[in-house]
Amino acid sequence: MKQLYYDVKKCLGCRSCEIACAVAHSESKELLKALKEEIKSLPRKQVLFSKNNNYPVSCRNCKEPKCVQACMAVALRYDVKLGIVEHDQKRCVGCWMCVMSCPYGAIRPNIKTKAPLRCDKCIDKDEPSCLKACPTKAIIWQEEKVEKI
Amino acid sequence: MKEYLIIGNSAAGIAAIESIRALDASSRITVISDEDYPAYCRCLISYYLAGDVKEDAILYRPESFYKENNVELLINKKVSRVDPKKNRVICEDKSQFNYDSLLIATGAHPRLPEIKGIKKKGVFLLRTIKDAKDIQDQLLINPAVCVIGGGLVGLRAAYALKKRKIDVKVVIKSKQVLSQMLDEKGAGIVQKRLEVNGVDMYMGQDVVEIIGEGDIRAVKLDSGRAFECSLIVVGRGVEPNIDVAKDTEIKIDKGICVDNRMQTSVANVFSAGDVCESFDLTLGRPSMNTLWAIAVEQGEVAGANMAGVGTVYGGSLAMNTTDFFGLPVLSLGKHNVTGDDRDCEELSVIDDKRSLYKKVILKDNRVVGSVLIGDIKSGGVLLRLIREKLDVSGFKDRLLQEDFGYPDILDMVTDREQMYIG
Repeated sequence: MKQLYYDVKKCLGCRSCEIACAVAHSESKELLKALKEEIKSLPRKQVLFSKNNNYPVSCRNCKEPKCVQACMAVALRYDVKLGIVEHDQKRCVGCWMCVMSCPYGAIRPNIKTKAPLRCDKCIDKDEPSCLKACPTKAIIWQEEKVEKI
Repeated sequence: MKEYLIIGNSAAGIAAIESIRALDASSRITVISDEDYPAYCRCLISYYLAGDVKEDAILYRPESFYKENNVELLINKKVSRVDPKKNRVICEDKSQFNYDSLLIATGAHPRLPEIKGIKKKGVFLLRTIKDAKDIQDQLLINPAVCVIGGGLVGLRAAYALKKRKIDVKVVIKSKQVLSQMLDEKGAGIVQKRLEVNGVDMYMGQDVVEIIGEGDIRAVKLDSGRAFECSLIVVGRGVEPNIDVAKDTEIKIDKGICVDNRMQTSVANVFSAGDVCESFDLTLGRPSMNTLWAIAVEQGEVAGANMAGVGTVYGGSLAMNTTDFFGLPVLSLGKHNVTGDDRDCEELSVIDDKRSLYKKVILKDNRVVGSVLIGDIKSGGVLLRLIREKLDVSGFKDRLLQEDFGYPDILDMVTDREQMYIG
């Protein structure tokens, strides 16, 4: 299962990944058009600065997701095959239990659409859109590291 | 083969089933429910009433769940008592069930205040799907609604009805809304949001009489005022359904007492969810913390221990989150500093124009509570700080900043960070 990793020493905090993410999840999939869409597409990733480093923060699609456990509407579900937490907008009521339960603070509420903003690994594409957008190759898309016990 | 018996078919009961089945595929599991519905998302009933979700989206598990998990579900059956000495459960219809391992996940029921006329036709509670449907049936005649209670259930009911363009007045005994969740400042912002959206609030007043012969006509308040209404929804908090364990060896305080394995004072009897009283991380003593997500966690731990795999529950705390007309609200742990905790430190930011209010309460440089309104995205990280009791003295000034987040705490947390290299 592929996962996103970040080389924080390389991250400049330019936020190109945020823009690419927002565009990839927009209606039009084009930057200029996306800016004019009525409901603005928001990035599912956010670069936060702390202790001299930039950290792109986004949903990790945890294998034992706290958000899925906390979801009172069964709008979040872990898909073992795809290795992602899937979100069903039809069932979601925007109660924000997922925001509260995420131990990484990686889920942000989109108040307008009443949907949680979470990384879906651009599952409908070959690879996540943020990857290509990063000018310093700080974003790494690779097979998951399995911790040796 | 073991005989598992679960009383209650909601968050905790279902989590326990899944937890048991992951460890024990073959033993018998029987679930007894006093409702006439398969497991559903109880917290969605106000959204159902609002018309935000349809009935088919309210089921918590597909109808095939019980068959697939080889679970016998008995609905419309009310347990009258547990006999732990004989490992037996006795139902109101006199049927009896034996068990090797029992889970009491009976939940809670709404409190009915002592008000003259409270038993009248037209007074509704909002706890079950049946309650929501009963209220819904009345909406055809375009009622004027009085909600009694300014807690989460009362306000969600008011919000739901207002969304359906129904005239709603809320009578709140306390001087603030959501007094179990918010401080005065935060409550003021929520109240304002509801008021500008057309929900009328009667603060610091209580209903003393429900007037009307046959149909409800009006309510009378202790302030001497009265107003017309034809339907009443009561949201005055809940009480745990402890009756099944009363006068038995199972220890009860406010709720059914459990240890960190969700085991009661009787070795093969467990309890989880709204009915149990578990260790509260922020209070340092047992407390009742009723929340869907907590019930799921507890049910999962109870199930594993029932199946003989020792699992420890980290403890609960008061927490909740919701949204009123686009205003997100989140509360964790302690939300008020009272006279007893003089050693607590409060940090807050407020921006009335943006309906933004964020507060953290610290004790010995550890976060013990928080109220977030308008901007709740740091709620998950703050919850982690509370749970892991991390020392925040090095970055106190960061806690309420807009860009505060996981990177600020990643070198302190207990699990090893793998996503970030370098």
